[in-house]
Amino acid sequence: MDTPAFNDADELSGKLRLALEQAEAEARLREAETPDRLNEDWRFGRPHIYAKALVSALESDTDNAGRITIQAPAACVEPMADDMRDGEMRLRSIGSDKILALHLKRFGKGICLCIDTVLADPIIITYETEGVFTPSTIILAAEGAAARIIERHIVRGSGLLVATRDIKAMAGADISLELEVSGESTSGSDQPRAMNITNIAAMDAQVRQLTRYSGLDWAREETVAEILHENTTIELFSANRLHGTQILDQHTRQIHSWGKSTSNLLYKNVVDGSATATFAGNIYVAPGAHETDAYQANRNMLLSEDATINSLPGLEILADKVRCSHGSASAPMDEEQLFYLLSRGIPRHDAQMLVADGFLADAVTQFRGSESDGNNTKI
Amino acid sequence: MSLIIKDLYARVKDGAEILKGVNLNIPKGEVHAIMGPNGSGKSTLSKVLCGHPDYEVTGGSAEMDGQDLFSLSVDERSRAGLFLAFQYPVEVPGVSNANFMRAALQARLPKEEELDAVAFYKNLRARMKQLGMDPKFTARAVNEGFSGGEKKRNDVLQMMMLDPTYAILDETDSGLDVDALRIVSEGVNAMRAPYRSFLVITHYKRLLDYIRPDVVHVLYNGRIVKTAGYDLVDYIEEHGFDFVKEEHP
Ligand SMILES: Nc1ncnc2c1ncn2[C@@H]1O[C@H](COP(=O)(O)OP(=O)(O)OP(=O)(O)O)[C@@H](O)[C@H]1O
Ligand SMILES: [Mg+2]
Repeated sequence: MDTPAFNDADELSGKLRLALEQAEAEARLREAETPDRLNEDWRFGRPHIYAKALVSALESDTDNAGRITIQAPAACVEPMADDMRDGEMRLRSIGSDKILALHLKRFGKGICLCIDTVLADPIIITYETEGVFTPSTIILAAEGAAARIIERHIVRGSGLLVATRDIKAMAGADISLELEVSGESTSGSDQPRAMNITNIAAMDAQVRQLTRYSGLDWAREETVAEILHENTTIELFSANRLHGTQILDQHTRQIHSWGKSTSNLLYKNVVDGSATATFAGNIYVAPGAHETDAYQANRNMLLSEDATINSLPGLEILADKVRCSHGSASAPMDEEQLFYLLSRGIPRHDAQMLVADGFLADAVTQFRGSESDGNNTKI
Repeated sequence: MSLIIKDLYARVKDGAEILKGVNLNIPKGEVHAIMGPNGSGKSTLSKVLCGHPDYEVTGGSAEMDGQDLFSLSVDERSRAGLFLAFQYPVEVPGVSNANFMRAALQARLPKEEELDAVAFYKNLRARMKQLGMDPKFTARAVNEGFSGGEKKRNDVLQMMMLDPTYAILDETDSGLDVDALRIVSEGVNAMRAPYRSFLVITHYKRLLDYIRPDVVHVLYNGRIVKTAGYDLVDYIEEHGFDFVKEEHP
C-alpha cells in the first residue's frame, strides 16, 4: 500500500534531479569557452581551427550517429541510463570543458560495464562512425574484479568521434584498457578526427591504459588519472606513428591524492612528414601523499625535418619521500641501427619501418608485460 | 670471379683520410686474413665496402664478381652476396632477432614469393644449436643486452642464415670464449666452399690456427703493406708489427 506513494516520491525526486542536472549542464555550456591558443592546454596543434570545428560540429549535429558493438559477458553490460549522466557530469577535462559540456548534452550512447569478477576473455567494444558520434564508456570495477578491455574506434571519411571514458577501480581490481583509434580515409579530402577524454579513479587497484592512434587527421587525448588510495598502480602508455600532416595532441595528468602508490607513464611517437605530436603531461603529488612513486617519459623519433614535436612534461610535488622523474627526448632514427639492418639486405623502407616499430615496441610490451603480471597475481 | 679492390681511398666524411690506396684481390673460394696494428684502417675498409654512411670514397674502385660495389646501395650490396660481421654489432631495440632475419631473407625472394616460415624457423633453430645459442634468442631484440660474445655469435648466425658469397669477419674472435671460438671457427670452416670467400680480420693467431687462411695481409696506415702465406702469422706473433713500421715510417 505504501509502495505507490514511495514510487511517486522517487519519480519526483528523479525528475527533479534530472531537471537540476540539465540546468547545470546548460549553465556549464554557456560558461565554458571554445578553447583557443590562449588556453594553456590548447596552445599547440592549431587549436583555432580544430577546436572551433569540433565545437561547431558538436553543436550543429543532432544525430549522434554511430555503431556500437560489444563482445562481453551479458552480466557485465548495463544499458546506458539517464542516471549515469551523473558520472559524466563529474568528468574532468584538460582544457576542454566546453567539449565535455557538449558531450554531456548529447549523453545517452555508449557502453556501461560493471565488472565484479575475474574475466578471462577480453571485452571488446567497437565504436564506428562516419558522422559525429559522442559515445561514453563507463567502466566500474568492483573489489577484486579483473578484466582486459579493448576499445576500438573507427572513424570513416570526415567523421568525428568524441568519446569519454569513466573508469573506476575498487580495492584489488585489475583493469587493462587498450584504446585503438583509427581513421579510414577513402579519398584524399577525408579528414577523420577523434578525441578522447578519459578519467581514471583507482583505489588500492591496478589500472593500465595503452592508447594507439592511426590514420587520423587530428586526434586529441586527455587522460586524467587519479590515485585515491594507497597501494594503487596506474600505468599509462601510448605508441603512435604519424605522417603527412597528421596532428596528435596528448594531455595527461597523474594525480596522486594518496601516498604509497605508483604511477608510470610512457608515451612514444614516431613522427614523419610534416606531422605534429604534442605531449603535455603533469604529475601532481598532493600534500600528504607521501611515499609516492611517479614517472613520466615522452620519447619521440623524428623521421623528417618538417615534423614537429612539442613535449612539455611537468611536475608539481607537495609531499615528502617522493620518487619522481619526468623526461622528454626527441631524436632522429639511429643511423647505426638503420645501417645494421640495411647491411643485411633489408630494403631502406622496410628497415626504417622495423626500427620505428622497434622504437615503439617497449611501450606496448611494458603494457602487455604488466597486463600479464597483473593477471598472474590475480589467478 | 673475385673481390677486387683497386687503389681505394676513403675518408671520414669531412674528416681525415683513412684508406690511402688499398689494393686487394680475393679470388672465389679463398680465405684471406688481414692483420695490422690498432687504428690502421681494417674496420674502415670493411665498412667502406658495405657502404657505411660515415665514410666517403675519394678514389679507386671495388668490384665483386665484376660488379661495381660502389654503384650499389648498402642493402643491394648485401643481397648481391656481401656480408660483414661487425667488430661492434649494433643493438636494435624492439626488433626481434627472428623478425630481423625473416625480413633479411624475405628481401632476397622475388616480390610475390612469401618466405616459408616453417622452414625458416627450422633452419634458424638448427643454426643456433650449431652455434650453441639458446633458442630464447630468437624472440629477443637484436643484440639488445647481449654479452660481447653473444653479439659476435649472433652476427655469425646471420652469416650462416644469409649464405653470402663474400664474408668479412671483423675481429669476430675478440670476446669469444675458447669454446665459442672453436664453435665459430668450425662454423666458418664448414661454410668454406668454392663459391665463397672469406676476409678474416683478426689480431690473434688462435683464430687463424683454426681457420687456415690461404693468404695473409698486413694493413698499415691505410695501405696493404705486406702479403704472404700463413708463415706471416707466426712471424707477427713473434715479432709484432715493428717490421712494417720500420719499412713504412
Ligand atoms: N667514423 C669515424 N670518425 C672518426 N675517426 C674514425 C672513424 N672511423 C675510423 N676512424 C679513425 O680511423 C682510424 C682507423 O680506424 P679503424 O677502426 O678502421 O681501425 P682498425 O684497424 O679497425 O683498428 P682496431 O684494430 O683497433 O679495430 C682510427 O684512427 C680511427 O680513429
Ligand atoms: Mg677494427
